[in-house]
Amino acid sequence: MKSVDEHWQALVTTALLGTDRREPPEAPQLIADLVADTARTTASERMLAQVAATTAVRRAGVIPGPPLDELAMPDGDDRQPCVPAAVDRWHHITASWPVLEDEWILTLVTAGWRIAPELLPAMLMRHRSDPVRRTRVMVGAGSTGRWLVGHVPDLAARHPNATVTPEALAELPELPIAPELAQLVNRPGAESGGVLAQSLEDGTLGHPHRAMLINLVARVRADALLDIADILGAVDSISPGYGLATVLGDLATTRHRMLDELST
Amino acid sequence: MPQPDRNTARNDRVQRMHGGLTELDRWLDDRIRTGLADPSLARYATWDDLAARLVDAQAGSLANRIRRLAGLVGASPGWHDDVLAELGLLHLLSQAGRHLGSLPGPLADAVATAVGWQVKQADVLAGVPDTDHWVVAGRSDVREDRIEVRRHWLRGTSSGQWALCLSFAAYQQSLDTSLRVGTSLHADLHRYPGPALRSLVGARYALPVDPVTPPSQTIAEGCNEVGSMLVAEPWLDRLPVTIRARLARSGEVWALADATGSLPVLNAGTRQFDAGLAMLLAVSEGREVDLTVEWTPHGVVPLSIHLPDRTIDVGPRANTSFVSAA
Repeated sequence: MKSVDEHWQALVTTALLGTDRREPPEAPQLIADLVADTARTTASERMLAQVAATTAVRRAGVIPGPPLDELAMPDGDDRQPCVPAAVDRWHHITASWPVLEDEWILTLVTAGWRIAPELLPAMLMRHRSDPVRRTRVMVGAGSTGRWLVGHVPDLAARHPNATVTPEALAELPELPIAPELAQLVNRPGAESGGVLAQSLEDGTLGHPHRAMLINLVARVRADALLDIADILGAVDSISPGYGLATVLGDLATTRHRMLDELST
Repeated sequence: MPQPDRNTARNDRVQRMHGGLTELDRWLDDRIRTGLADPSLARYATWDDLAARLVDAQAGSLANRIRRLAGLVGASPGWHDDVLAELGLLHLLSQAGRHLGSLPGPLADAVATAVGWQVKQADVLAGVPDTDHWVVAGRSDVREDRIEVRRHWLRGTSSGQWALCLSFAAYQQSLDTSLRVGTSLHADLHRYPGPALRSLVGARYALPVDPVTPPSQTIAEGCNEVGSMLVAEPWLDRLPVTIRARLARSGEVWALADATGSLPVLNAGTRQFDAGLAMLLAVSEGREVDLTVEWTPHGVVPLSIHLPDRTIDVGPRANTSFVSAA
């Protein structure tokens, strides 16, 4: 007796040619019972009824395909994946503060974390072309990163043979900061924050200096960040520098939290 | 369910829909007579004209199915199978839609919804709610024509019942971001008429709690669950199920597998990049994990990975250049 699947194949063959050229196949009992009536007089009507019934039966009888071999798993990695808050932070900084991304990955590696696996595809895809960042990601990714690239060729590096020096790998890229601002990099937060707040309020610093100010906050010493954020948060809301102070305060807060989440 | 005798406007509407369904069946009959090799199937007008007439006939859901069906022609080596199956389901719906009065109430409601009978949100919200702790088990975004459709699949902790909350966004509009995958929401859900999955969230009794994992099952058990839902409504083309499975290769495509069998992943050639699938691969490292997936007739779509400490949303995501808040 014909199975439902065999009957379906016969229906597909008939449907390709059309019932003007070929009569519908004889239905197996199961389908014939479902479509048995005298109302359908033409071949196409009988065919449509069979197609509808057979489709409904096949869908309701959804069954799994055969079991499949397991994938070979990646080698183990003793490092813990970074915490979910750090994962969220990476998404936030790549969207809003990309100037912090190098420090995110360097801090993660230095602190002995590995990149949380759910971040790997996005990070590998984002850093296919830059050899230094790519190498940092692969260090942070460990064996899972290499294993993943093996399974998903689109995640492979664009320049796999590029040479990266250990110095380039370990150092944050230098950011352009004007000399008069650069001296604030190593100052305590109360001092550097005070200078910034005063200069923003009196208009000495403003939007033309935005890029340099962002670079400065991205490189000031870590223990200065909270003070800077607090002081910038207190900038007079009617002063011309209020908007920029808020932006820089957010950057300082974001960087402080980022470093906190990635601390050991 | 539409009640044709209630008033003239409704009568007119039912009549128009009836006319549209009759025309649909005539069109289906033509396709079956002339065959799927007929060159007219490759012409846009063949489908679009019918879809437009179905919209006029208040059968918008069927019009959407027709447009999706047009996209299947020539799309894969087995497109004849896919198109024929969809023609069969359209026939089933057109027949059922023309005999709503003779169907049992819940089935008639389900058919009317599948055909495109519009129900006001206020009417749905006026219905008796399902109150439960609803786990937001998965999310998927799919572009349908010029609209982005977001599906949130919720599962009742007490009832074990699934529900679907839809949101829609045209270009530069926002999708619903109030439901976060992996959280549990103590709330009223109001279902559309019939044994509908589609629901609206009503009163919320507490802030969402996380993380929560819906109960998982084997692939074979998951197939049984999907089959049971399809027995009731064979025309459904997306259904949720939570399974415990691992990624595996089936020739040149990815599949989900366990000791009881396997299910192909939709549109997942091993040579194509899919962000959600890559994330699943990275997180699972080839091991079995609890997953909520969306079953479709052509394969499953992984939506979320339920880990002991968190749920990771890996469902297809709308392009942020098209809609915001994606």
